[in-house]
Amino acid sequence: MTRLRRPYALLVLLALVLTVPAGAAKPIAHREVLPNGIVLLVAERPAVPIVVVRVFAHAGAVLDPPDRAGLANLTGALLTRGTAKHTAPQLDSAIEFVGGSLSAAAGRDGMTASLAVLKKDVGLGLDLLAEVLLTPTFPPEEVKRKTAQIQAAIKRSEEDPGTVAGRALSKMVFPGHPYGVPAEGTVESVGKLTRDDVVAFHAANVRPDTAIIAVVGAISLDDARREIEARFGGWKPPAEPSPTTPSASPGSAPRTETIEKELTQATILLGRQAIRQTDPDYFPLVVASYVLGGGSASRLYSRVREEGGLAYAVYSYVSPARYGASFSVSAQTRTAEVPKVIDMMREELVRMTREPVTDRELRLAKDYLIGSFPLRLDTSSKVADFVVAVEEQGLGLDYADRYKERVAKVTAADVQRVAAKYFAPDTFNRVVVGAPKP
Amino acid sequence: MRPALVATLLLLLAAGGAAAQSGERVLAATLDNGLRVLLQEDHRSPIVSFQMWYRVGSRNERRGATGIAHFLEHLMFKGTPTYGQGQFARLVEQNGGQDNAFTSQDVTSYYVNIAAEKIDLVIDLESDRMHNLRLDAKDIASEREVVIEERRTRTEDDPGGFLGEEVSAIAFKNHPYGAPIIGWMEDIKRITPDEIRAFYKTYYMPNNAILVAVGDFKAPAVLAKIRAKFGRIVKGSAPPPVLGVEPTQNGERRVIVQKQAQLPIVYLGYHVPNQKSPDAFPLEMLSTILSEGRASRLYKRLVYERQIALEAGGDYNFFATDPSLFWFWGTPMPGQTPETMEKALLAEMEKFKSEPVTEEELQRAKNQVEAAFVFQEDSVHRRASLLARFELIGGYADKDRFVERLRAVTAADVQRVARTYFSDDKKNVGVLLPKP
Repeated sequence: MTRLRRPYALLVLLALVLTVPAGAAKPIAHREVLPNGIVLLVAERPAVPIVVVRVFAHAGAVLDPPDRAGLANLTGALLTRGTAKHTAPQLDSAIEFVGGSLSAAAGRDGMTASLAVLKKDVGLGLDLLAEVLLTPTFPPEEVKRKTAQIQAAIKRSEEDPGTVAGRALSKMVFPGHPYGVPAEGTVESVGKLTRDDVVAFHAANVRPDTAIIAVVGAISLDDARREIEARFGGWKPPAEPSPTTPSASPGSAPRTETIEKELTQATILLGRQAIRQTDPDYFPLVVASYVLGGGSASRLYSRVREEGGLAYAVYSYVSPARYGASFSVSAQTRTAEVPKVIDMMREELVRMTREPVTDRELRLAKDYLIGSFPLRLDTSSKVADFVVAVEEQGLGLDYADRYKERVAKVTAADVQRVAAKYFAPDTFNRVVVGAPKP
Repeated sequence: MRPALVATLLLLLAAGGAAAQSGERVLAATLDNGLRVLLQEDHRSPIVSFQMWYRVGSRNERRGATGIAHFLEHLMFKGTPTYGQGQFARLVEQNGGQDNAFTSQDVTSYYVNIAAEKIDLVIDLESDRMHNLRLDAKDIASEREVVIEERRTRTEDDPGGFLGEEVSAIAFKNHPYGAPIIGWMEDIKRITPDEIRAFYKTYYMPNNAILVAVGDFKAPAVLAKIRAKFGRIVKGSAPPPVLGVEPTQNGERRVIVQKQAQLPIVYLGYHVPNQKSPDAFPLEMLSTILSEGRASRLYKRLVYERQIALEAGGDYNFFATDPSLFWFWGTPMPGQTPETMEKALLAEMEKFKSEPVTEEELQRAKNQVEAAFVFQEDSVHRRASLLARFELIGGYADKDRFVERLRAVTAADVQRVARTYFSDDKKNVGVLLPKP
């Protein structure tokens, strides 16, 4: 039981993982394409005797049929729940007996299976990893069990104001696009999913020609290639091509929603569509977001928290994904101060559009974004996540270096120009979750 | 509370570990003013994790002033005459570093993870705020509101957090572990600037702190710099001891909370000894067998086989400074009652008393703990935290004997501690009932 000075802002961290620069002279990972289309990424980190593996498949919630919301999520959760050789409890026992971990889950864009084992157990770990990806059996009783658990988790998440606000905002920011639908689905939509749906989704979308495998840790490139080819080399893609997903179209007119809950504090979330890393304006946008609400020296943190004492958590962040991006501003404050905090958010957004940021602010943002990079790649898990993300978003393994150059070049004029494009307060959707009156 | 309770030792290690066979030696020193310094070189990445651990937490608070340790933790970022308001965070960020801090029942810990070449800056900042904090009334007034908002987020509006406070409050009538770390709302609102200044002077002393750094540096050179900066700080008097001892509990205690929530929650907390007792090792093994992973008893039995729990877990705080609670908890699936959940948790508890754990369970738990130690080695932050944790309870070198002592635990030991401590005389129950 601990109490932190600052909350961990997961969204911020996740976005940064995708947007941090690299200083390394040599490539962060070796990359090659196996004959069946798998992109293999290997980074040797020999010092600690552990191996971390990620297998990413383009099998995310974006591929859920419109009347099957939650299908990718259910399929991901079921990968480790039974294979041709092992039942779910046997898989659990096998990996945990050696102190390792094996898990799988789907997000919006993809499905990831993760393995972490001691070096001495890498053979066993990869055997199990290959089994859950290639030969899951989706036993009917496991489908039933997992469906009920997901429904219960969705129900429980209704008591978390941040989750409730996030779901409502996504719907407004990405109307008509899969990003507007919760990846886990709804209690109702999950209730309609069948084992046949799961089997078909897995067969069509978990496939070698769109898969990325990252192997990081105490293993040589040759060993990694050999071990992966031995288990995944015979994996055949289905005849049908991988389905495509349209990029998000621009959102409709911004909307406002208030969701009433019996709470002492209100969660305020503003959001709109933004741009991905492939847009040259992305780099000024990241700098602008950092100045506005990125760290403990940001404008929002200083004004809303440090001077105003109005919030414990206040942030702004860019969330780039494969088929679209969003920019959000969030805070939690006591019910009575909701109008005041919203006004402050709007004023600070406007100020970013009307006047250039100071040299000091610009330097701080750039120095932090560039200088903190080594901290984001200091463990095997972080390296694995980073190389998968860079590959998956098509940014190239040298993206980190380019990012560093691009951020370094951002000027105050760039920041103001991009803020003018993306920070106009009237272009933001708004959700407030909390009590209507103090 | 809910996420915190999930933390068995493995997760605690995940939040702060290092390794038994971690290679590089620890350079340990105690300065003349009592500051304990532990330095470990790790040259894999050009970074350092620099951590200050003060031996002060909510256990050092008195009634009426709960939350003062955590409040002060926030104020440690508010500035000194040398580095004014906001300068700490600004300088750390400008140098590409990341910082944060936390307060527990026993300690207040600050960390900066940063490029190794910036270590001088951190030594400067941390030595400065150990004795120069400004603590002016205006900063205290605005930060008070921030802490109140934090309490609303974590407790008032979080059913699990709220219930956890209530169970601790009935479990401890005399010992300060009965009060929440963040403090009761009334106390947070009342605490005066003078009380905070006195608290700071009493506990933020070199002789009450441990400095740990792990990273890409030369330990002797860093020690010299630490001596130069921290060595100037005057040693303080020994902080007052915590005197409260929890009296024996006669019979079960129970608290019911009604709050807006989607599902009920059940907590069981049993009074158990801490690491000063040899029983701590079997309790740690029991906790791992109970709740670590999907092959653990609570997950396998209650979530998987019986399907009565959405989540279930257990927690034992091996590192607690004073005897604390062993927790069982569960969230029933929709349609299941809290009574069923409580009975199921009790049945699992009873099973540890009636039959020995299997050899496979015991071996798996030992392998899990041992592997977790190796995984920790991958992060300098975790290595530094674990050194500090062991130093706090007696000496960093105990870390190397920890796995060995766990390996020596037998099934009979586990059964014995279950029989000794899981009795109604030590039992505290909390039930959250969702308000219709």
